[in-house]
Amino acid sequence: MSGPLLQIDGLHIAFGSRSVWRDVVRGVDLRVSAGEVVGLVGESGSGKSLTALSVMGLLPLGAKVSSGRILFDGTELVGMRDGAMNKLRGRDIGMIFQDPLSALNPAIPVGKQIVDSLRTHASMTRRAAEARVVELLDLVGINQPAERARAYAHELSGGMRQRVMTALAVSSNPKLLIADEPTTALDVTVQAQVIGMLDRIRRDLGIAVLFISHNLDLVASICDRVSVMYAGRVVESGAVEPLFDAPRHPYTRQLLRCVPRLDGGTGPMPTIPGLPPRFGSVLPGCAFTPRCVVSQARCSAQAPPMRRESGHLSVCWEGVP
Amino acid sequence: MIRLHRLVNGFGGPAGFLGALIVIALLVMAVGAPWIAPRDPLLVDISNQLLEPGGQFPFGTDQSGRDVLSRVIWGTRASLSVSAIAVVIGMAGGVTLGLIAGFYRGGWIEQITVRFLEAISAIPILIWAIALVGIFGVGDMRVGPFVLANEAKLMILLGLLYIPTLARVTYTTALVQSQANFVLARRLQGTGGLRIMVSDVLPNCLSPVIVQATLLLAIGIIIEASVSFVGLGVQPPTPSWGNMLADARNYLMSGEWWISVFPGAAISLAVVGFNLLGDGLRDRLDPRHAAAVLAT
Amino acid sequence: MASLFLRRAGVSLLSLLLVSLVLFVLTRSIPDSPARIVLGDEATPADIAHFDADHGLDKPILVQYFRWVGGIVFHADLGKSFTTGLRMNDQVANTLPVTLELVMLAFVVSVVVSLALGTMSAVLRDTPLDYGARLIAVLGVSVPGFWLALVLILFFAVDRDWFPPGGVVPITDDVYEHLRSLVLPAFCLGIFYMAVLTRMTRSSLLDVLGQDFMRTARASGLSRPRVLMYALRNALVPVVTIAGMSFGHMFGWALIIEQVFNIDGLSHALLQAIQQRDYAMVQAVVMVFTVVFVVANLCADVVNASLNPRMAAAA
Repeated sequence: MSGPLLQIDGLHIAFGSRSVWRDVVRGVDLRVSAGEVVGLVGESGSGKSLTALSVMGLLPLGAKVSSGRILFDGTELVGMRDGAMNKLRGRDIGMIFQDPLSALNPAIPVGKQIVDSLRTHASMTRRAAEARVVELLDLVGINQPAERARAYAHELSGGMRQRVMTALAVSSNPKLLIADEPTTALDVTVQAQVIGMLDRIRRDLGIAVLFISHNLDLVASICDRVSVMYAGRVVESGAVEPLFDAPRHPYTRQLLRCVPRLDGGTGPMPTIPGLPPRFGSVLPGCAFTPRCVVSQARCSAQAPPMRRESGHLSVCWEGVP
Repeated sequence: MIRLHRLVNGFGGPAGFLGALIVIALLVMAVGAPWIAPRDPLLVDISNQLLEPGGQFPFGTDQSGRDVLSRVIWGTRASLSVSAIAVVIGMAGGVTLGLIAGFYRGGWIEQITVRFLEAISAIPILIWAIALVGIFGVGDMRVGPFVLANEAKLMILLGLLYIPTLARVTYTTALVQSQANFVLARRLQGTGGLRIMVSDVLPNCLSPVIVQATLLLAIGIIIEASVSFVGLGVQPPTPSWGNMLADARNYLMSGEWWISVFPGAAISLAVVGFNLLGDGLRDRLDPRHAAAVLAT
Repeated sequence: MASLFLRRAGVSLLSLLLVSLVLFVLTRSIPDSPARIVLGDEATPADIAHFDADHGLDKPILVQYFRWVGGIVFHADLGKSFTTGLRMNDQVANTLPVTLELVMLAFVVSVVVSLALGTMSAVLRDTPLDYGARLIAVLGVSVPGFWLALVLILFFAVDRDWFPPGGVVPITDDVYEHLRSLVLPAFCLGIFYMAVLTRMTRSSLLDVLGQDFMRTARASGLSRPRVLMYALRNALVPVVTIAGMSFGHMFGWALIIEQVFNIDGLSHALLQAIQQRDYAMVQAVVMVFTVVFVVANLCADVVNASLNPRMAAAA
């Protein structure tokens, strides 16, 4: 296969109604190759979840892709008819959501929800699908999978729900898994277990993962590459190690400084002063200028240039003569 | 222009505003009936029997030569007063019970109130209203020093039967509100329970109650009309939309349509008005509670 | 599930006992005693005492009540009318079937139509179809059934001979004519609850369609019909509750409809009993209706528990 599995070029997503539309995602480029794990990092409201939902064709009411391309396996997804898109969902692209309790149907046993997904994408007898569900639940590390399959979401623990959610998302062996803050709603102790499980599953099944999170440690631990988003734009992207070791964009640097460390010594936790720009407001220059510690006069007036060095991209005026 | 816009939005949009206008018009008719009605609604005039609408009788006349327009206007009074007083009684009882049960949650007070409400909600309203009016007889009833007209009995019965619905609405809101942080803060200040309940919890429970009460007003109008229609409500010769329709029934086949159409249209208009207003208020005051529970 | 049912049934039974006691006391507290009504003003105190002794009316009210309830529970016997001497069981057996058929017909049609209309309205939100369904819903709750009945009789039975203007042709005479004679009454009876349930279905479904788990269902690539089933499993819970209440309330409205269409049903019998001051009959009919109402609500609870297990767990 040539080219990446998922290729997003110049994606703009707008919110609005009738004639008034405002871009909230402004020109995102993203690539995920087969088998690769790519992290998408940013504060809430930075547009990372919207970007993910646009890949699934599941943008909320009142939001639309206003321009750009999303290629999956060489097929253009933007403007694809919902019927065709629906064949991809669940079969080629799976998705895990943040809060597994509200993401699982409360009125249907969890096993049955997986059975329905399986039988939608492959002709299987009910019995075969039920057997497969037990295998899947076992795979995601659920004890007594046959009994748990008959349980309802509210009868399971948080960690177990997210395992079920994962089993549902990977049930039809997708090529790409989108995990949207999969551990944010979980206890810290459970987080590590679920992440470990996710990492094992994607290796076993050879699934590429687009991992969305605001937790930098998590991203550093499981991703190959990472893109950092701020106010609807990717401001820095590259392989995990160089990016974390030598971040180029001031936002990434300030963000990394905010991660609590055991060897960090005493003193107050550093924070980034100020707030992200208001939803949908447009600045001519870099959106981070008001909060940036190294901002210059041209930052707020002119859009910063994209600079790429050995695959490490940064969008900033800093160091530009 | 902007003020009009804000006024319209205050009733949850154009539909709610239209409902408010209808309700206001009805109130004006009910209160001002003696001045608005062109004729005496009880004046029998054999020479003007069953006249078609037109001329000095815009809505025509009935079998006794009475002016249908004037009777429809006076009928507003009977319908609205039964419906409104029933809702007031229902609110007095329902809000009190619901508030107490929700505020003193987890105790025996809550248990008893909730069970009591459950028991009354096992009652089908309309059948009981009809049966009880029937049992007490349609004439005036003497209770101690008071004489209750038939309308008064109907009001009280409907009011009692509204209690569970209104109590349930209050109870569910009060349950949530009583655990809110501002109530906790008041408790920490040492404010007494009763005082918190009345001055802090109660005002926050009123929105859904008002919405529900508006919808019950609409239902009350239909119930009053239905009960009067079968002869157990407002007694002739006092005009009410329901008993006018009962008279009209005999003239339906012979083609005197105006006797039945105008009171019927008045009922529908009133019910539409209260429903639109209720829906509008719900959009405005209580948007989360999208589905109201109807009482009949 | 079974324990939930038993608990609900227990509560309902208690409610029924309480409610029947209230009803009994009220019917006994009217100013005219049955003896006065039957024997007239000329009756001597001795006559009245004799009458009361014959009918057990001289006993304390609680004793009378427990005899009455005992008769219903242990012998399925609603008692005898003091005024006409007729057995209430026969009266009810003669009149209940028509009312039951009428209400069932109205109920089934209005539930089926409202589920279809409400679902369509929610799925095709803000399309002309949705506006149409919402308009029908507003009109349906606003037009009183008995007035609609008058208008429809005028239009379809008097002006045109499509349906009979009143009465019910016995099913044993002619099945087609029997059904034809039920169309107008059932329609007038059902339209109000059809409108109510359509609105409920629509708003409840819209609420559920916005939930996270619906996004998961779409993300799993499920077919549209199945996605809708997933939504309905959750959306129908409040609708079923109201439908259960509607079934019971329809017996009340049937009273008015039976009056307009001259149908000799149980509701009509209640009205007659009121006019004849036959309070034992009033009591019996109201009790029958209340039992139907309570049972219908109980059925709704059971349906809901099977639709949504979390309901059952929370209850």
